[in-house]
Amino acid sequence: MPELYSSSPLPIRDDLLAAHTQAWERIARPGTWWDGTARVAIAAETRQASHSALCRRRKEALSPLAVEGDHDSLGQLPELAVEVVHRVRTDPGRLGESWYRSVIARGLSEEQYVEIVSVIAHVVAIDTMAHGLGLDPLLLPDPEPGVPTRRRPAGAKPGGAWVPWLEPADAIDAEAGIYPSGRPPANIMKAMSLVPDEVRSFFDLVSHQYLPGEVMRDFAHEYRAISHAQIELLAARVSALNQCLY
Amino acid sequence: MLLRASGPTHDRAYDLGAVTGVIDGDGGVPHGSLLVAFAEAVLGDDDVALIRARGAVQKTLGAAGLVDAAGVVGLFNAIDRVADATGIPLEPEKAAASADFRAALDLYRFAVAMRT
Repeated sequence: MPELYSSSPLPIRDDLLAAHTQAWERIARPGTWWDGTARVAIAAETRQASHSALCRRRKEALSPLAVEGDHDSLGQLPELAVEVVHRVRTDPGRLGESWYRSVIARGLSEEQYVEIVSVIAHVVAIDTMAHGLGLDPLLLPDPEPGVPTRRRPAGAKPGGAWVPWLEPADAIDAEAGIYPSGRPPANIMKAMSLVPDEVRSFFDLVSHQYLPGEVMRDFAHEYRAISHAQIELLAARVSALNQCLY
Repeated sequence: MLLRASGPTHDRAYDLGAVTGVIDGDGGVPHGSLLVAFAEAVLGDDDVALIRARGAVQKTLGAAGLVDAAGVVGLFNAIDRVADATGIPLEPEKAAASADFRAALDLYRFAVAMRT
């Protein structure tokens, strides 16, 4: 894979470059429930969703469920997966539990769903940053061969979210390191714990593109070119614009 | 929310109106209005506004500041999707600390209506 941001006129920190490179390479590899070809297709469909006329009409409608039609998809994924990618990418603030349950009832597994959400999140994090900086989106990587591991954590069970999750006390060696030690994990960390490798990968991105967990509350020191207060103002404004309750 | 939590360390009280959009000022955060305009432009559809906001952030906070600001906007644009798509609840302590903020955004009513 060519070096990312090699033509960027802006100084991308080395640790951020390494994190993005790792995340991009990982998208191309077989995951836990989707193979590399499907994962790259999910990434491509995430970008395609922004151009979907159906998504645009749904976004403008009082209720997204009131607008029927077919997605303008790339045709590389099952229709149900396309529906998830497009809804999560374009109108996340109006997703509901009944919609999630219907997706699962129609045949997508909970584990496949969580992995789709994770790939979307990786692509959105990296693409939105590039857009903000005026850089071209990174070229998607070529898929790598291989099969998904298809391993579900034995201790995962229904908790407070729509998706099952893994409580720290139920984690075994295979799930080691997905949660911080010495403090309970935030629910956002448990959200994707049905697929532990996705937690590891996404929160590595969090550490480098935002802040590592251990310094988030160290308000006496600054770790970036902008201050804690400036970082948190940006974060809160983005969540407000997205109408995100969490 | 950590914006409010970070205030006492620097003997500051931040005005969350800058977050909810009800005030145009900095909210007590240095260059806060520039950063809010940048976040809005990145998530918006106005290319000219984005070019202007990007330039203002780079001129004021430097290229490294611009990179870090864009990184945070991108990351939270993603985190919001993880939270919304998995239906995670807000932890009780966070709910208590941000009740007024969420009320200002009318988020609670909106979210309950959508998820029930």
